[in-house]
Amino acid sequence: MLSLTLSGNCSLLPRPNNRRCALFFARTKRTTLVTSALTRETVAISQDAMADSRNLSFPILVNGVTGKMGKAVAEAAVSAGLQLVPVSFSSLDKPVRTLEISNIEISVHGPSEREEILSSVTEKYPDVVLVDYTVPNAVNANAELYCKFGVPFVMGTTGGDRPLLYKTVQDSNVYSVISPQMGKQVVAFLAAMEIMAEQFPGAFSGYKLEVMESHQATKLDTSGTAKAVIACFQKLGAIFDMNEIEMIRDPEEQINMVGVPEEYLSGHAYHVYNLTSPDETVSFEFQHNVGGRSIYAEGSIDAAIFLHKKVQSKAEKKIYDMIDVLREGNMR
Amino acid sequence: MISLLQQHSIVASRHAQAYTRPEKPCMYRTRRRGAVARAVVTENIEKSSKIIGSSTAPFPILVNGCTGKMGRSVAESIISSGLTLVPVSFSGKEKPGGNITIGDVDVTIHGSKERETVLSSVINQFPDVMVVDYMVPDAVNANAELYCKLGLPFVMGTTGGDRELLYKTVKSSDVYAVISPQMGKQVVAFLAAMDIMAKQFPGAFSGYHLEVLESHQASKLDASGTAKSVVSSFQKLGVSYDMRRIRKIRDTTKQLQMVGVPEEYLGSHAFHFYCLTSPDDSVSFEFQHNVCGHKMYAEGTVDAAIFLYKKVQQKANKRLYDMIDVLREGNMR
Repeated sequence: MLSLTLSGNCSLLPRPNNRRCALFFARTKRTTLVTSALTRETVAISQDAMADSRNLSFPILVNGVTGKMGKAVAEAAVSAGLQLVPVSFSSLDKPVRTLEISNIEISVHGPSEREEILSSVTEKYPDVVLVDYTVPNAVNANAELYCKFGVPFVMGTTGGDRPLLYKTVQDSNVYSVISPQMGKQVVAFLAAMEIMAEQFPGAFSGYKLEVMESHQATKLDTSGTAKAVIACFQKLGAIFDMNEIEMIRDPEEQINMVGVPEEYLSGHAYHVYNLTSPDETVSFEFQHNVGGRSIYAEGSIDAAIFLHKKVQSKAEKKIYDMIDVLREGNMR
Repeated sequence: MISLLQQHSIVASRHAQAYTRPEKPCMYRTRRRGAVARAVVTENIEKSSKIIGSSTAPFPILVNGCTGKMGRSVAESIISSGLTLVPVSFSGKEKPGGNITIGDVDVTIHGSKERETVLSSVINQFPDVMVVDYMVPDAVNANAELYCKLGLPFVMGTTGGDRELLYKTVKSSDVYAVISPQMGKQVVAFLAAMDIMAKQFPGAFSGYHLEVLESHQASKLDASGTAKSVVSSFQKLGVSYDMRRIRKIRDTTKQLQMVGVPEEYLGSHAFHFYCLTSPDDSVSFEFQHNVCGHKMYAEGTVDAAIFLYKKVQQKANKRLYDMIDVLREGNMR
């Protein structure tokens, strides 16, 4: 029986306040469509935050702050010292009017107002970068909208018609980062395994593989990430049948055996892979354990910063993925 | 919340299960008198992938240093993989004499003074012979010179000596050689993957916290070079870490209970554990590579020998290789 462990301190560190940058913000009357004059908040601003705002602060609009991922990304944007545009969208015709994220009041608009609002946002914030975390059904329509207005965007939402998504973006020449996996470090790990498999095929011939993964109970299917890593190990010569993946979905087992912190039971992705030599004198083990959404939010911000850089440098290439973001190196 | 110590006791219990040595009955063919024995050992294990396929001809290998632990282990692997073990070896002493038995092969041990004459006659008898060298650091350069003088392709498993001179000697002759201080092929693959990841994605793990733990036999006084190599990849990935923080476990009780080293391998093992944690503690990555005994290095050496033989037969342009080249070739058995 394999047991997964999470090393180190599992408690969430409180988000440090000194990283919150001063942002200009105010709401105008609803008769004018664009939020204009921004006022500086009087908060303690550390040198760090000031440096952030000087070096890489640019406006970022999160489409979908009413959702959990959108909210997490918006908060991460503020923490990173970016300028959160106080506007968002909802699929409901009459959505809740405002939402507060990190002390910023975001006005939420329904579908009928999308074009008007986006148009004035691009006027007010010409270098805005948009991050999309909506729903699969809205992916293509949203992409079309962004392309229509020439807004560079990070597509965090999965699903929708992917070939059509790429076609829409290619035809419009808009800058975008499209990646179903926004956990940057997980992408790095997966890429490393792929490179190893490609460079050294059969290096682990005869090795036996064991895989265990744990996700929130609502995730019925097997981890796609696990399957991708297994494919690498198979190229490396390991012996494994995809049916042998051990899926842990029982919360008791997740707490006691896997070591998932209780606060992440409803949202986590823990994976362990174990390779053993035929004579059992050698073993390799790889684990990647993600709790909550923070890694995806941070990865999205990295993607947005990367995209902003590409737009500013008028790069030739327009469509990017997480590997491109990784290759750029650390930008914060 | 599980501390590093606690989680290692979990690891220990798992390893205890993984390392139960399976019983393997062996069958031997009787040796023909006066000729080189080709002992074929068939092991009755579930996966029969150890037997060399008919795709590789069983070429002869001479192991220089059969009397040492690594040399003996390699000789055994040579036999079990269906290759031909030349029943001749050398010792560091000038006139040792005597024989040792490895598998079903009676190996005559000659003194260091007789090296050149004995090797010359071995080459006469087995023109496509190859040498695998597991001697001592002090003998590395002299042995390399001799192999090059006689045009003998060789795999240099011995570490130390004057490495620059070693490469110079080989490059100025035309001899085929695989030189690698790390013969654990799969460990080299893992190290290379980490290195490639670090080069391709610099700073990907910026801000992440690293913990490293390694355990080796008590006699190994220095810290693991392999661990340092992996740490330096992580540093390129943006992790800030002081090499002195690597935890070296050399106390046998801790090795048994905390690390989970099987008792029979306390005197010879290399366990490594790395853990990367995100700044907010919500994400962790763990890597482990745990080696017991010498088998892995012996098997890697045989892979290197098979690879080299192939290059010699193909009359490849390149002469000098390392373990990465062997890995790139893919599985040859």
